[in-house]
Amino acid sequence: MEFNLSPEEERLRQVVEEFVRDELRPLEPDFVNAPDIFEGSRWKSRVKASQDPEIRRYIEIMEGLEKKAEAKGLWYLDVPKAYGGLEVSNVALIAVTQELEKTNIPFELGNHVSNILYNCRGEQIEKYLWPCVRGEKTSAFGLSEPASGADPSMMQTTATPDGDDFIINGTKMFPTFADVADFVQLFARLPGTKGREGVTCFLIDSGTPGYRVARSIATLAGTEPCELVFENCRVHKSQVLGDVGNGWALNQAWLGARRFQVGIRAHGKSLRVLHVIGDLIRHEPKEIDQFAPRIGHFLGELEALRTLTYLGAWKADQKMDVRSEAANVKLFATELLHRVTDFAFEVVGQSALRKNHQLARTFRHARATRIVEGPSEIQRHIIQRELFREGVAALELM
Amino acid sequence: MDLRLTEEEKLIKNLAAQFVDNELIAREGDYLTQTAPFLPPGAPAVRELDSAIRSELTERARQIGLWILGLPEDFGGSPMSAVARVLIHREFGRSVLPFRPVSIPEFLFETKYGEQLANGKISLALAFEEAHRTGELSRMRTFYRQEPDGCILRDSAIFISNPRADLFLFPAREQGTQRLGLFVIERDLSGITIGDEVDLTTDGTVARLVLQHCKIPNEQLLGYEYEAGAIIASEQLNIAARSLGIGMRCLAASIEHARNRVTFGRPLAQRQAIQWMLADLSIALRTSTWLTLEAAWREDHELTYFEEAALAKKRAAKMAFQAADVAIQIHGGYGVCKEFPFEGFYRDARLLRLLYGREEEIDRAMGERFLKSD
Repeated sequence: MEFNLSPEEERLRQVVEEFVRDELRPLEPDFVNAPDIFEGSRWKSRVKASQDPEIRRYIEIMEGLEKKAEAKGLWYLDVPKAYGGLEVSNVALIAVTQELEKTNIPFELGNHVSNILYNCRGEQIEKYLWPCVRGEKTSAFGLSEPASGADPSMMQTTATPDGDDFIINGTKMFPTFADVADFVQLFARLPGTKGREGVTCFLIDSGTPGYRVARSIATLAGTEPCELVFENCRVHKSQVLGDVGNGWALNQAWLGARRFQVGIRAHGKSLRVLHVIGDLIRHEPKEIDQFAPRIGHFLGELEALRTLTYLGAWKADQKMDVRSEAANVKLFATELLHRVTDFAFEVVGQSALRKNHQLARTFRHARATRIVEGPSEIQRHIIQRELFREGVAALELM
Repeated sequence: MDLRLTEEEKLIKNLAAQFVDNELIAREGDYLTQTAPFLPPGAPAVRELDSAIRSELTERARQIGLWILGLPEDFGGSPMSAVARVLIHREFGRSVLPFRPVSIPEFLFETKYGEQLANGKISLALAFEEAHRTGELSRMRTFYRQEPDGCILRDSAIFISNPRADLFLFPAREQGTQRLGLFVIERDLSGITIGDEVDLTTDGTVARLVLQHCKIPNEQLLGYEYEAGAIIASEQLNIAARSLGIGMRCLAASIEHARNRVTFGRPLAQRQAIQWMLADLSIALRTSTWLTLEAAWREDHELTYFEEAALAKKRAAKMAFQAADVAIQIHGGYGVCKEFPFEGFYRDARLLRLLYGREEEIDRAMGERFLKSD
């Protein structure tokens, strides 16, 4: 049994540690009162189009950081070698994010390509995959609908074959960044099919006649997911990702090992929340006396989250089935972040609810994480399904 | 990173698992079932393992190296990693039979008691009552003073949970210097009285160890702060590992029962209330498993591990209690019957949560360290 990173992984972690120390930490004072343009570690939608000089200034800072990170060889970490990437292990990606999460600067290494796009074939590779790898194009993910969320097998959007084309009709809810994306990965079903059958994934360019972004919707978390409407939207069969009728597997494969990033992000955010509290009460003996046990409790839970996350990432590297591990991490991480943040308000008081306060931002973000990419209840369902399928063998040592 | 067991670790785990299945769990029926059809009210007060069976089990465990873990080579044993100890205690934890391998600190084998301890002629208990409160040594209030012809322990009284042992390891602070000393004392040493033995809610007992005008020869002072700390961490890892065993057993039995038991036309396994209890338990079990193994691995690699061991014990013991609670609930009326192991696990786990650091104290220590750093 060996818990250490490999020498190669450790070297990468150190480079990121130095990058955080030398490039990100010095920027922290500048970001204390940054405008509300980030959600978690990502840009909010449409921010990059802003002409506001204050926002432009932050955009320039972030773009400068991206160039520096690329110069240090920290770009394309999770891109396959076949596409010029570094294809580092999932464990290494967790270690990298653990370092990045030690600072408030909302910086994320790229370019993240929706993992199912590696199923692109023929001309799709030049048209969609490569531009995404190079960071020239971005995509949105259209799965949920007004009447189907956690259970996408109930989707009603149809793709009716018509010669070499498909005619798409339906409404998609909540794809984030669809308003600024170059194309959407859209799931629709063949006429007359039910459940998981007949589901097909299409790559549909923004501006295709019949496809429009009806509106973007403000949320608690600060994200602005969109409503997409397809009315007799005609797409050529060459826009099908993978095989016709085989889209369900792509939906299942989406996110993949990136699930574990949710775990380590929540770990880092929770720790930073505890540091905010720590800085506030460190010199107040009465407050220390009152809150030290609960802070200690959360630190212990965060240790548990860390081991769980590395376990899942390591299993993913071993090509084991990690559906249940991913569910474990998603559930435990998001529920924990939420509890930690909730507790922090009890310590800090109402001033932490100021819109721009770090805790207020984390609070708004944390509540949404218990829903997006699979609500907690679905995660529990996945976990119990494995338990009843495999029994305790699912928890036995390897 | 490689989270697979090594071949050697697999061998030792399988050896322990076979012993537990064939020798312990196979005997549980006899141990748990009440013999008389109508017992007197309140009986049986305490369940005990028949002494002939205990000797037989001890002998078999000894033959395969699962009796005194890490027995020195001079006494026919072999060194054992902390990870291996965790794997063994985890297997033994699966049985409710009160039979587990023995841990004896290595330095005791270099004393005059070494031979007898190794043979099982005499037994050892830890008189660490004050450490049970906090899981550390900072608040010890038993004092000694060293004189040329021996150490004088200040009069005091503590609870001990293994009152029939022949030897006790006993920590105390030196007056003035505050240095911690670890003594080994014989039960019939003048100045020591052991009495007032009472039954616990678990199938164990607790007694009072009273020190009055007690003087201990200087050579009985065997260790200091680090040795005592290492014993606490080692006990915490043992408890954590045993808790994992309780968790595995309770979870396995609950899954099986939920598959078979039908209510209102559907198996319990299809009820969300049941599914979620088990899903949440499995997360607690999974996280506790890896925290425990990582702490043991840290010990093996000479990294700091005391805090990690304390955390592992806290979470694992709490998980074991949750596991027993869930198993009782899912088994319904059978769950609270003494013919089933779950109520025994439930009582045991409640005690495990209190040993070598109450939960809130372990939390407090972690929180205070965090608030003191940077």
